[in-house]
Parts: sequence; C-alpha cells; structure tokens
Amino acid sequence: MTLNMAVADSIHLTEAEMAKYVIDAAKEIFSTMVMINIEDCFPLTESVTKFHCSITSMVGLVGTYTGILSIHCPQSLAMKITSNMLGMDVDEVGEDVNDALGEIANMLGGHVKMVLSKGGLDINISIPTVIAGEDYTINSMSESDCVVVPFITEGERFLVGLKLKKE
Amino acid sequence: MPNVLIVDDSSTMRKIISRSLRQAGLAVDEIFEAGDGVEGLNVLGSKSVDLILSDINMPNMDGLEFIKQVRANGNSVPIVMITTEGGEDIIKEAISSGASDSIKKPFTPDQLNQKLGGML
Repeated sequence: MTLNMAVADSIHLTEAEMAKYVIDAAKEIFSTMVMINIEDCFPLTESVTKFHCSITSMVGLVGTYTGILSIHCPQSLAMKITSNMLGMDVDEVGEDVNDALGEIANMLGGHVKMVLSKGGLDINISIPTVIAGEDYTINSMSESDCVVVPFITEGERFLVGLKLKKE
Repeated sequence: MPNVLIVDDSSTMRKIISRSLRQAGLAVDEIFEAGDGVEGLNVLGSKSVDLILSDINMPNMDGLEFIKQVRANGNSVPIVMITTEGGEDIIKEAISSGASDSIKKPFTPDQLNQKLGGML
C-alpha cells in the first residue's frame, strides 16, 4: 500500500503528504456536511480487503492521472452519516445511504482532483458507484499504488482508499 | 420572495443545499429540485425561477451544457455553480458559458449567505 512512484514524482508529493491532503479534505467534509468530527489513524498497519456488513462508494478519475477514490464504511456508521446529512433518522441501507456515501466520495474525489490537476479540465470524475453487502472483497485495496487512510468516528472505523496511476 | 432551482444528481446534496438556504436566513419562497440538466430545463419550462444553483458533474446533461442551454433559451436568470469541480479552468468555462459565480463543496450556510445574499 503506497503511492505510485510515477505519480509521486510527477506531483512532488510523498505518500504521507498525499495522505495529509485526503485527511484534511475528509475532516473538512465531515465537519461541514456531516456534522461529525473524524480522526485519522494513518498509516494503516494491516492490509484490508474483506468487508463485512459494509458499504463501499467510489468515484473514478480519468485523464492525465487515472484511479479510484473509495470509501469503505460499516453499514451502521453509514446510516449515522446519512442521518446527519439528511437531518432525519435513517435505519436501513437503501437509496439514501447509497446517495450520501456516493456524494462524500464525489467530494473527496474533487479534492484529490484539485491536487492532481491545475485547471481541472485534464481529469474527469465519474458519477459515484456504490456497493453494499454482508461479505465482499475489494482486491485493489491490497495492491500497490493504493494509499489507504483509516478514520475513526463514533467508535467505528472507516477507510478511504486512493489508487492512482499516471497516464 | 424569490424561487430557487437546485440542480444536482445527489438527492442528499439537494436536501443539504435546501436546508442550508433556510439556515443561512436567505429569503426564499419555493425551492425546486432537478437531478440533472435535462430535468432542470424541464423545470424552467414550467416554473418561474429567480436563481439556479447547479452542480457540474451530472449524468445525462452536465452543468456546463445546462448553462449553455439555459442561455441559448434566452433565460438570464443568475446561475451559481455548487460543485467539487473547483479547478480554475472549469470555473472559467462555466463563467464564460454564463454562470454568475461558483461555490465549492463542502460549504457552510454562512458561505452560501455571503455568495447568494446579494442575489436573493
């Protein structure tokens, strides 16, 4: 789990510095849009590929750099996040949770794009994709070229993964 | 009081923007919602709107094309982009297409008030 060497050379950032951008962006998004404070515990010490009762939202980045920004969150925490964003109780994983977690991925992806792109026209962000399930595996999280930042809030942990390559 | 149209493919974000407008104390009458540029044009065809708040990255018709279509229809209503797409070139393109201003996500009600206070 590390930042791709060609990407690091091109943007003149280390893995820790890129992780700091993700951490600062996530903290700003959660404090202003979710009204929850989050704490990072970077770096992740173990490889995580299997998720149980979780939800994963992701956006793709395509252009001078390509990759995926993903958020992996326990369903219980995802419902709390959605409840806060909507200002109403949400007690099931459905359209609202998918949309809320997708929008957080979209906002985080936008911040990452700002780091990678000077003007914004050389990289496109995809519409968010969201999956949820009892047990599933995300293989890209174990591969190289992926920076993973763990966060803690409300007594639960969620992960943000950033897999990047330079085209 | 003015009517506002929010164009964003995220229903969560539409609700947050709508709630933030009220929290910011901005004088707003009706708030209409659309999930993309096509839906936004349909709303404009049947409703009187005094301000449009639009995302850029949306399916079917994105925000940049939506602005162009609104202006091509002869509508001069102020359009403010609310987007994660804060790159300088994208904002320049949005402004040259007819957008009045932009607000970056995430935002606070105070930031909405500062940007929109003079338009409502």
